[in-house]
Amino acid sequence: MRNGVSAAIIVIAASWLVIPIAAQAPATAASAYRGARTPDGKPNLNGIWQTFSTAHWNLEAHTADDGVPAGQSVVEGNDIPYQPAALAQRRANFEKRTTADPLTKCHLPGVPRVTYIPFPFQIVQTPKYVSMLYEYSNVTRIIYTDGSPHPPPLDLWMGDSRGRWEGDTLVVDVTQLNELTWLDMAGNFHSDALHVTERYTPVDADHIRYEATLEDPKVFTRPWKLNLLLYRRLEQNLQILDYVCVDFIQRKYVTSK
Amino acid sequence: MGTVAGLVAAIVLLSLAPGFAGQAPAARPGAAGVYVPPRTPDGQPDMQGMWLPGGEGLPMERASIVAPAPAAGGDGAPAPAGGGRGGGGRGGAGPRPTMIVDPPDGKVPFQPWALARRAEIIDNQDKFEFVDPRVRCLPAGVPRVNLPIVFNTYQILQTPGHVVFLYEWSHLYRDIPLDGRPHVDPKIRLWMGDPRGHWEGNTLVVDSTNFTDKTHLLGNGAPPVGVPAGALTGGQGVFHSEALHVVERFTMANANTIAYEATLEDPKVFTRPFKIAWNAFQRAPKDHQLYEYACFEGDHDTVRRMTGVDIDPSLNVGGR
Repeated sequence: MRNGVSAAIIVIAASWLVIPIAAQAPATAASAYRGARTPDGKPNLNGIWQTFSTAHWNLEAHTADDGVPAGQSVVEGNDIPYQPAALAQRRANFEKRTTADPLTKCHLPGVPRVTYIPFPFQIVQTPKYVSMLYEYSNVTRIIYTDGSPHPPPLDLWMGDSRGRWEGDTLVVDVTQLNELTWLDMAGNFHSDALHVTERYTPVDADHIRYEATLEDPKVFTRPWKLNLLLYRRLEQNLQILDYVCVDFIQRKYVTSK
Repeated sequence: MGTVAGLVAAIVLLSLAPGFAGQAPAARPGAAGVYVPPRTPDGQPDMQGMWLPGGEGLPMERASIVAPAPAAGGDGAPAPAGGGRGGGGRGGAGPRPTMIVDPPDGKVPFQPWALARRAEIIDNQDKFEFVDPRVRCLPAGVPRVNLPIVFNTYQILQTPGHVVFLYEWSHLYRDIPLDGRPHVDPKIRLWMGDPRGHWEGNTLVVDSTNFTDKTHLLGNGAPPVGVPAGALTGGQGVFHSEALHVVERFTMANANTIAYEATLEDPKVFTRPFKIAWNAFQRAPKDHQLYEYACFEGDHDTVRRMTGVDIDPSLNVGGR
């Protein structure tokens, strides 16, 4: 009898352990992901990743140019839905892109651009934080996955990132982005009203589907989405090195008085 | 009775549940009263969390000469509290402890030519090629990134096979692999060096090479204007060559303190290895966060102000 009670309690206790996993069951069942998982049951994204696309040069479809590979659009629906004045601004940006692109000044690239500049980045995943270490200009992001809210409004180049797991997808809400970054080298841009929602969905151990939804009522007519694939870099002993563009840019432009 | 047994069983089960894995057992004192930190799920001593600089006010080095009356000025950066201007020996208080613990005289063991080079650096802070790399928003290097500087705080993350330091200062980071892989090719030079770590008991030992010769090793602010290099106690202008080799030791002294030691070796610049040590990391309040430290962005005046040389204004390099 005593043993029976004990056993019953153990079963109840054990069932409590199952509940957090069971709660994720519907999403997990729909996930094709069969790769490694962290001890807390999330897809294990630790490692070095990189996109291979032409988004860095131009998010939209474009013909090749000197140093620019031709590319198809990564924008859902092909074209970014600019308001008329913003479209004119984009054209003006394109004309002066070689000096006006904030990246030519070594400014922080913003989100989502940092994801698809042609440098690798490392994901460091713990239960409370998913940090991203970018080789380009030692940019870092710390995505809080501990349920904490965005802090009071700040003016940030890389925004403030708060994430949550929806099944096997890491969903990141990025706010408080300033208006000083561009989206690519072709003059695509946004305002300080930009709100980005990123979705990182691992499709297998070595590929993550990356989707970013951009909402900016000052610049776009509606929210729109870009789609990319992140590839795990599998070269042996590969590690993140550095690209300290501040040094390059200062040496290039400093002129003696 | 049965209920008690069941609860005990439940507690045992719960403690095995994945959700509880991050909540490591409370630390217990080691054999000799030495602090034994809790463990991460993969068995590393757990140093994770938010940390603030420790050791503020501790002079980095002992001055060779007594400074003349300090001139006003500098770049507005806070002078190191306590010992920034002349330091040891003044006021009859006797020598103060310094970060440099070896050699025992608390001085950087420069080779003679390097001592002269340091003086040249200190005397020419108004020139682009000499100015403190910190002023140019360049990466701090090692061990400088761990020095108590007013705008720095730290976050440590640990995953299987890695310890990662995130620094607020210029959004720097260090990923320290623990898998024993060799250093990268000597042709690759890195501003923050190439770190390789391993655990010796509860101490994280980090061996770093492949540095550039562009960073300064110490210094937590601008050198006070007009104070000769020999009178500095703030570590400014301590340059190095690409031969720099740094071995750091991080040990949790208690739940809220990480003791730090770094042995610095550069046979091209110093007469012998020297060692710095202090409690470099103090546990931050629970809700502490790292904020974005965009250094170069929007700071188009610094280089001009500090060096008298200008960045072509038509290029609007600085910013907003």
